[in-house]
Amino acid sequence: MKRSLTILAVAYFLIALTDAGHAQNTLEKIDKSGTLTIGTRNGSPPFAYINKNNDWVGFSIDLVEHAILPALNKKLNKQIKLEKKESAPATRIPLLTSNAVDLIAETMTDTQSRRDQVDFSLTFFVTGAQFLVRKGSPVKNIESIAGKRIAAQQGSTNAKIIRERVPSAKLVEFPDQPAAFQALSQRQVDAYTNDGIQLAGLKAKAPKPDDWAVAGEFFSYEPYGMAMRKNDSDFRQVVNVGLMDAIASGRYAEIYEKWFGAKGEVPYPLTPENKRFLQLQVVPK
Amino acid sequence: MDFSVVTNNFVFLIAQGFLGIGAFTGGTLRLAVPAIVLGFILGTLIGLARLSQSRWLHWPAKVYIEFFRGVPLVMVIFWFWFIVPTLAGKSLPEYAVALTAFVIFEAAYLAEIVRAGIQSVPRGQVEAATATGLSKHQLMRHVILPQALRNMIPALVTQFIVLLKDTSLASIIGYVDLTKAAQIVNNREIRPFELYLFIAIVYWLCSYAMSLYAQRLESRLASR
Amino acid sequence: MSYNFDWSVLWTGQSGNWLIQGVLTTLHIFALGLLIALALGIVAGALRTMPFAPLRWLASSYVEFFRNVPLLVWMFFWYFGVPPLLPQAIQNWLFDHGVEFWAGVFAIGVYHGARFSEVIRAGIQSIPKTQLEAALSTGLTIAQAYRLIIVPIALRLIVPPATNEIVNLLKNSSVALTIGVAELTFQTRQIETYTAKAFEALAAGTIIYLILCLTIASIMAGVERRVAIPGMIAQGQTGAS
Repeated sequence: MKRSLTILAVAYFLIALTDAGHAQNTLEKIDKSGTLTIGTRNGSPPFAYINKNNDWVGFSIDLVEHAILPALNKKLNKQIKLEKKESAPATRIPLLTSNAVDLIAETMTDTQSRRDQVDFSLTFFVTGAQFLVRKGSPVKNIESIAGKRIAAQQGSTNAKIIRERVPSAKLVEFPDQPAAFQALSQRQVDAYTNDGIQLAGLKAKAPKPDDWAVAGEFFSYEPYGMAMRKNDSDFRQVVNVGLMDAIASGRYAEIYEKWFGAKGEVPYPLTPENKRFLQLQVVPK
Repeated sequence: MDFSVVTNNFVFLIAQGFLGIGAFTGGTLRLAVPAIVLGFILGTLIGLARLSQSRWLHWPAKVYIEFFRGVPLVMVIFWFWFIVPTLAGKSLPEYAVALTAFVIFEAAYLAEIVRAGIQSVPRGQVEAATATGLSKHQLMRHVILPQALRNMIPALVTQFIVLLKDTSLASIIGYVDLTKAAQIVNNREIRPFELYLFIAIVYWLCSYAMSLYAQRLESRLASR
Repeated sequence: MSYNFDWSVLWTGQSGNWLIQGVLTTLHIFALGLLIALALGIVAGALRTMPFAPLRWLASSYVEFFRNVPLLVWMFFWYFGVPPLLPQAIQNWLFDHGVEFWAGVFAIGVYHGARFSEVIRAGIQSIPKTQLEAALSTGLTIAQAYRLIIVPIALRLIVPPATNEIVNLLKNSSVALTIGVAELTFQTRQIETYTAKAFEALAAGTIIYLILCLTIASIMAGVERRVAIPGMIAQGQTGAS
């Protein structure tokens, strides 16, 4: 009796676990659960970070709340809740493909090789890779890093570029930005490479911003997009429509001003060509 | 050394990190207490299965115990974080992932404690009880388990201390326990020495207090 | 399930290399950490049983302080908190030679030293007092008695619980990934990141850990058979991580 009960229990458990008998697309999943789960950073100011009041805020998070969620609400005809999970370059694609999150809304660069594994939304920010160094450091650009210890995030495009273009540099990979920055502040590495805007954000929020400098020209092109699972065009349509509406209606400009405006967290004016690029992405209705 | 970073963020560290009251999913105690309770229940079932005469119970239990004692807890956490949502087709909240991983992992160790507890009940008890006509089932429920439980208590308290420390690993998947809360504040303020010393002291206070309690229990039980 | 299995990712491209590197690093941390843990554990365990109160107190403080704090917190402490306190010359050497590796080794070694000391203490305390008295009566000092007689006997008695602790040390090497040490679990994450094959990567890592743990357990079982003292069996402790 006990034996057969055990077998039944195990069988039930296994069946319940593989509940995915029907392949659900993301819109159905969100509709059923009433929640959009996003993967986002918690140490990348001002895109997604935890501020002095220990609130989880940021530009990417605001974009989701004020551009994507309204579009989702309209499409599914109900109020969708937002849930945030922490992601990092090394974990974000596995989190997406394993269904733990539905959308990666942080600082992820859209690249051709990543498009083999995930789909991207429109580009919502444009930047390039640079170095964060101590003021007065001999590291001035990518040509001067040979043989030096360079910090980067494990799984980032920046790490890959350094590994390929400057093999003589000693690349030290960290799970996320705060760990890398801490290594830099303790002089364990000579420079930290990441996208310029993130380095600007880090510098602005550092305990002593004047100790740091963002060095070098952009040595790569880093267009940020929001990532989602492949073969999910309905969801992708909603996300893109949300972003396009925000750009066309001026809501994007408001959010941009809040974080990157003159009085924002990290002043970083939108160049005319980037502004044009964003506008050109808005296709006619 | 400037401990103001600790005082400024004290509420966040203790209420959110330690207790689990706050805007984030977290809390060391909120994870540790259910984990030990559920882990004990599962561990008892597995421990009993391990002692069973039936091959169908004995061998899976043995495999379970040996498997989870041979892999790091970090690996088990990653399994539940990445693989289970893939199989289930939907995302799991961090709390569920962390709790499940801990319960399943700790149950292997608790099963051994249960087994040792049951085996420490003197054989004479079993013989006497059987002689009075109790069935095997009644024997287990009314004679063996109560005595075994009493014997197990010090080891159980010790395992709870171990579990309390292990909850720090939940921070790896973003669960905002005490360790993660300290990391969050450190990421912003960059004061590792003060922050990690503070949480070391908090963990230490809990563990040391519980280990003194376990020692007292052990001497009280031994003197019976 | 829309997951496509592809086991070849484990040996094609960089993955195979990463796995091997990971295993080597894990074994490296394990060996060095074990050396430190044994050294500290034997000294602290012995000191806790000696009749001198100040030495006992010193050893007890070490043990109680390090044992009751999670290893993860120690990792961060040794990696972020300790290097700034060291002299500049040592810092420079460390930064050029893998500071995260050494922080991991010391975090594991010192933490497990505290745990080993309890195992060794239990072993020493299970030796009848008469041994020590006999040793002292032959003219040996306490230090010599411990070094030549008590500790060697204790080590032979505690093989089962020591095996447990050694296996735990191996498993705990995985915690070093949080400070960037490229050990086995870190490498399985690396493979996952670049190939998106989480299942295969985790399975490979899990199997390797199982093999390593079972190997250690069987080596120690062999050691136990060879060094067992007939007539004296120490209490085996139940497993704890």
